[in-house]
Amino acid sequence: MDAVSVKNLKIRYGSHVVLNGLNFEIEKGNIAAVIGPNGSGKTTLFKALLGLIPYEGEIKIFQKSIKNALKRIAYVPQHFDFDRTLPITVDEFLSFASNGKSINAKEICREVSVDILAEKLIGDLSGGQLQRVLIAQALIKDPDLLFLDEPSAGIDIEGSKAFYDLIKHINKEHDVTILLISHEMSMVSDLADQILCLNRDLVCNGPPREVLTKKVLDKLYGPEMNIREHKHL
Amino acid sequence: MIVWLALPFIQRAVLAGLILGALLAILGIFVVLRRMAFFSDGIAHASLAGVAVGVLADTNPLFTALGISTILAVIMAWLERKTKVASDAIVGLIFTGGMATGVILLALKSGYQPELVSFLFGNILSIQWSELWLMAVLAALIVAFLLLNYKRLALMVLNPEIAHLSGVPVTLYQTLLYVTVAASAVLGIKMLGVALLSALLIVPVSTAKLIAKSFRSLMLWSVIMSELTVIAGIALSIQLNLPTGAVIVICGLILFLVTLAGSKLFNR
Repeated sequence: MDAVSVKNLKIRYGSHVVLNGLNFEIEKGNIAAVIGPNGSGKTTLFKALLGLIPYEGEIKIFQKSIKNALKRIAYVPQHFDFDRTLPITVDEFLSFASNGKSINAKEICREVSVDILAEKLIGDLSGGQLQRVLIAQALIKDPDLLFLDEPSAGIDIEGSKAFYDLIKHINKEHDVTILLISHEMSMVSDLADQILCLNRDLVCNGPPREVLTKKVLDKLYGPEMNIREHKHL
Repeated sequence: MIVWLALPFIQRAVLAGLILGALLAILGIFVVLRRMAFFSDGIAHASLAGVAVGVLADTNPLFTALGISTILAVIMAWLERKTKVASDAIVGLIFTGGMATGVILLALKSGYQPELVSFLFGNILSIQWSELWLMAVLAALIVAFLLLNYKRLALMVLNPEIAHLSGVPVTLYQTLLYVTVAASAVLGIKMLGVALLSALLIVPVSTAKLIAKSFRSLMLWSVIMSELTVIAGIALSIQLNLPTGAVIVICGLILFLVTLAGSKLFNR
């Protein structure tokens, strides 16, 4: 069964075409990664899949319209800008997101190591801690599909490795289909079952070993692009 | 102050001050959180058009100002969603357009316009029972809406996308927040005037932020600070025979400075 099915998706801002007739499916239970240079339409694609902007074409989430599938979707944004001096505790923020309806909030907080942060103010959290809190708010919804927009941006390499391990865990243990945007090519090639290369058009779509070729990367980023392995301690 | 409280116009002023103090303190949290201080200022200025309509129609300007500012708030929310014009530019357009319309309309009526001075600097001591009742009902409705929906509103302000996925009807709540700010701003004009209104929306929250350790305590401390400010301001203004709105604002600022100094000393 497809978690996401996109047919002839076209998005334009005025006369400027941002996404040009995309067609792809993401199988339920997979981790799919969207890669592409800045301005290639990755975030626009996410906004369309979340039903936040108008589009041409067809999007189905678990074979339903986006509106009817919203309850099964959760999202971790790339930017989370707010007045950091406002006193909002982690506990309060999570209760805003679940509106007090979650029955497994405590368990999820323990699982993503957010329980120890419960009384801390969200304005005092480090980048990595805030990212875990955002993951917790997403999981509290008990979603079947999770969108992650550049989830490890602003986290150091070690934190990033731990973060991707967490994503793997969520995918396997909670049976959540994951669609993420990332610039970290080596992480993505290890983690994802499916890669979608985007540069206004869908340049590639398939398993990492098949599609992450020099030819595709040249087409996406230009000939200067190299994949560099992260060294972990 | 106790002796003064026997006078009906002082009773009305104190009651109005307490009602508006609580309303503006709670709403002020969302104004600060969403960084919409300019919006509240703009809509308050634009409501001069409504005041002028009331003066020309020989009806209570408070009622017409409420109606017109609510319509303007809905228009602003719509323009923000449907056009590429920046939010502050939209506020600027409505701000100046509303004021200009008000000035032109008031020029059509000859003679001294006491409503204009009251609009600028407020006059809580002149409040009537009918206005107080309207204030009480509207404030109760708005505070009930804010308290019942504060989690949804806070999430929407923090991140509209997450709110959307959590089932919050973002467009509707955004418009409702604008309308409540507009209506509260107009009610606040009666007390502080357009020139000083932002003080009660911003200062109590800023003071409360210095000591609050959570969002719930922020709401509680904002209301406490606001009520202290209003009571002290009204009492001092009567005692010293000074303009009430301005004294309320100065009391709020003093309370802020004292709390700031206290929090610095305490956190050493």
